[in-house]
Amino acid sequence: MAEKLDVQPGTLALMILKTLEVLGPLHGYGINRRIEETSKNRIVLNYGTLYPALLKLEQEGFISAEWRPSENNRRAKFYALTAAGKRQLAREAREWHQTADLIAAFLGARRETS
Amino acid sequence: MKYLRAALARIAGVFTKHRADDDLREELQAHLDMETAEYVRRGMDPGAARRQALLASGGLTQAAEAVRDQRGLPWIESIAADIKYAFRALRRSPAFTAVVVLTLALGIGANTAIFSVVRGVLLKPLPHKEGDRLVYLRQSADGPGAASLQFSVPEVRDLQSGAKSLGGIAEYSPFFTTLLGDDGAVRLDIGLVTGNFFEIMGLSPLLGRLTLPSDDGPGVPPVMVLTHEFWKNRFGGDSGIVGTQVRTGGGPVTVIGVLQPAPSFPRQVDAFLNMVASPHHLSASMITGRTHRMTEVVARLAPAATLQQARSEVAAVYTRMQSDFKEAYDPGSHYRVAVIPFKEVLGERARLTLWLLMGAAAFVLIISAANVVNLTLMRGVRREHELVVRAALGAGVARLRRLLLVENLLLTFMAALIGVLIAIAGVGLLTSFAARYSPRASEIRLDGVVFGFVLVLSVTVALVMAFVASLPREGTFATWIAAGGRRMSGGVRKQRLQRGLVVAQIAVSVVLLAGAGLLTRTMVRLSQVDTGLKTEEVLTMQVQLLNPARFTPAADAENKALYDRMREEIRALPGVVEAGLGSIPLRASQVGFDLKAEGKSLEVGEAIPHADFRTASPEHFRAAGIPLVAGREFSSTDRAGTDRVVIINQTLADRLFPNEDPLGKRIAWTGDVLRFTPISGERRTIVGVVGNTQDGGLDAAPVSAVYLPFHQEVAMTGGLVIRADANVEALTAAATRIVRSIAPNVPIENVMTIRQIKDQSVSPRRLNAILISSFGLLALIIAAVGIAGVLAFSVSARTNEIGIRMSLGADAGRVQRMILREGGMLLALGLVLGVAGAFFGARVIQGLLFGIAPHDPATFIGVAVLMAAIGIGACWIPAVRAARVDPAIAMRSS
Repeated sequence: MAEKLDVQPGTLALMILKTLEVLGPLHGYGINRRIEETSKNRIVLNYGTLYPALLKLEQEGFISAEWRPSENNRRAKFYALTAAGKRQLAREAREWHQTADLIAAFLGARRETS
Repeated sequence: MKYLRAALARIAGVFTKHRADDDLREELQAHLDMETAEYVRRGMDPGAARRQALLASGGLTQAAEAVRDQRGLPWIESIAADIKYAFRALRRSPAFTAVVVLTLALGIGANTAIFSVVRGVLLKPLPHKEGDRLVYLRQSADGPGAASLQFSVPEVRDLQSGAKSLGGIAEYSPFFTTLLGDDGAVRLDIGLVTGNFFEIMGLSPLLGRLTLPSDDGPGVPPVMVLTHEFWKNRFGGDSGIVGTQVRTGGGPVTVIGVLQPAPSFPRQVDAFLNMVASPHHLSASMITGRTHRMTEVVARLAPAATLQQARSEVAAVYTRMQSDFKEAYDPGSHYRVAVIPFKEVLGERARLTLWLLMGAAAFVLIISAANVVNLTLMRGVRREHELVVRAALGAGVARLRRLLLVENLLLTFMAALIGVLIAIAGVGLLTSFAARYSPRASEIRLDGVVFGFVLVLSVTVALVMAFVASLPREGTFATWIAAGGRRMSGGVRKQRLQRGLVVAQIAVSVVLLAGAGLLTRTMVRLSQVDTGLKTEEVLTMQVQLLNPARFTPAADAENKALYDRMREEIRALPGVVEAGLGSIPLRASQVGFDLKAEGKSLEVGEAIPHADFRTASPEHFRAAGIPLVAGREFSSTDRAGTDRVVIINQTLADRLFPNEDPLGKRIAWTGDVLRFTPISGERRTIVGVVGNTQDGGLDAAPVSAVYLPFHQEVAMTGGLVIRADANVEALTAAATRIVRSIAPNVPIENVMTIRQIKDQSVSPRRLNAILISSFGLLALIIAAVGIAGVLAFSVSARTNEIGIRMSLGADAGRVQRMILREGGMLLALGLVLGVAGAFFGARVIQGLLFGIAPHDPATFIGVAVLMAAIGIGACWIPAVRAARVDPAIAMRSS
């Protein structure tokens, strides 16, 4: 099994939003599966991490929730991206790219000799 | 925006908890089911799949808890739960709750009441506009009656032109008149003021207008500004009074306005009148006489001027005045002027007493809080088991501490509530107490600031209480829990803290009791002072026939005839032994002059002798019970036209004629100020010497006095002195009826027996003594409860040890002694510290003592013995209980 990673603060919200953008409305289990798969099982979320994060995004108005029957006809709560959520995703993704580029540039720098 | 939205959602979450909980449970269950189904699909058997899914979930309960924390406002919800829990816990131990709440309530109540007085009288800004810029000027000199001399018009003028840092000088002359109403005449204490007085004082009218410069000088109509208090008391706050005329002894006067509530100094007056109301104050002698000092001076500092500047400038001007007018400032009497902030001077007589009371109240609060801390600690130990269980279930240290804090806050708030009720009940009494010391007593209020004070006090006490309760440091819980929640005795540190608190309680109680003892003995000493009178069965009253506005020799003769009629009719009443006219004994005469004795010259730098001016009819000394030491009393032949004679008191005889016979010697009043009075500076022959009387108050040093024949001088004031063989109070009604029938339009004042006059002098000290004694008593009780409680706790914590000792052969007596020794140590330490503290404390209150040394050994020993007796008594109960421990049961109980 691959090495387990801790979820960086703030990144879980981004992962959830991106998942919903890519897959459309989804229940908690689906989101969990998707994040685990995408991270190649390096991130394993327990409920106590996932659900408060979902609730927080809902409180902030970035996602909305709705009870619907699931694929195997079980009632499940589906989360969907709202318009505000889309904007937030774009903004956060941009910031992450910038940060990542910056860090990469720093880490990639060679020892300078003069 | 995002935060606002989230916050709203969370607040909503507090109220939609139940529905959301069901929702959440279903959602989590769905997740679990889907995951289980997935494992089954991959080939696991259902049981194993479920286990695997549960394992991956990380615990449904924990997840639900985490979501709940995100959903609502967890801290509010848990605090509500804490309050509910605290209530339940307190209800379960009602005795503990009652003791804690009651002791704290007494402490908080006393502090609140006294703080409201301290604030109203000493701290609150003055109601005057920019009142902190006002300064009071006090001219004084050595000798009795010279502590505050007031100023003359020329002196005020010099100050005004010389001291530029005084932006304006507000002058007022304390004066009196009578107010005639339908219900007879009353004395009216007034201030005669110049037109700019109110502007400089920074006061505004509540109704109508105040005096203006146009009200100055002669030839204007007399006008009156009522003080707020007098307007309320006399006219019932009737706003229709403005513009009407009232009848006074000096003629009709128009009321032009009502002043805002404000203190006046040196005494509270009923109304302010313009100068024209007293022709005397506009006379040439008043305006030019440098020694004719009748004016009080309050000045407003000029903008940007400081108190220091004002002080040095006034000092410079005053030095110049003294060198320019040597005859007005006797060098031997050390004339001086002090510049004192007005606010300070208003509180000057109250300050020491009030801070003393505040200190005593604070002490009581400290020791009652110490008691509560001790009780909490004990209860904390008993509750350790409960706290361990709660910790094991996941409560963190912070959470436990918060629980304790909520409990303590609940306790202190209950106490504060009762305390405020106590304060409301007590503040009326304290206000009348403060009114004796300060003109600002009417400003005492239980207002927002005072309640804020209560709040801060309560929260502080609660915080202190919550933090001394020892909780383990974060991370050491494991050992705690590992101890298995077995009841543990308090650690060494905790016991040391408890003992320290008990020692402090005893020490503070001793300090308070010593103060109470000293003040009580002061009061007793004072009431035992020899007044100089041979009897207490004397009734006195003052009847003011002289109208200062209309004074003629013919009027004087008429007045004297009226006085004689009053005396004779009263003398004829059944039960009256003697009746006299003249100055009222045990009351300061308010009038005094410099004296010279024939054939005696003063040494260089020696102060000019000064004596009280008193009058007496021939019967006066017998009526008042003043003993004749030498010579004769006045006779009916000592009247206008005959040789001028005087009788002096013992003090003056000793002062003027040491080792000589004063009889037949001649003395004369002297000084420039006589010019402004109807009293002549002729030589008068001493015909008698009488004993001293405590006219300046029971605690005052004897004052020189000269008695003049009542019928030989102008009758400026008339006192009736009536002696009965018994029960003199019973004569009051009959005597006042006679006076009223003879002089219906004249107020009868100060109708008092000698006993009442004496009591008036003692009663402020009595109240002092009672207040401090009740604080002392309260402290004593609290300390006794404290020491008994700590020992009882120590016994119950050591039950096991005592059982072992007893089974090893210690008998009951030995065990009892062991516990008594433990208590005795605390007691002894507390006593030593307390006596040392009282030794220093007594020096602070020296100014309030009379006839007793601040470290009076009898008081100190008495207090120490009392404290020791009570302390040993308090130790006895737990000691006896320890001796009754049954070893078999004690050993088993562990």
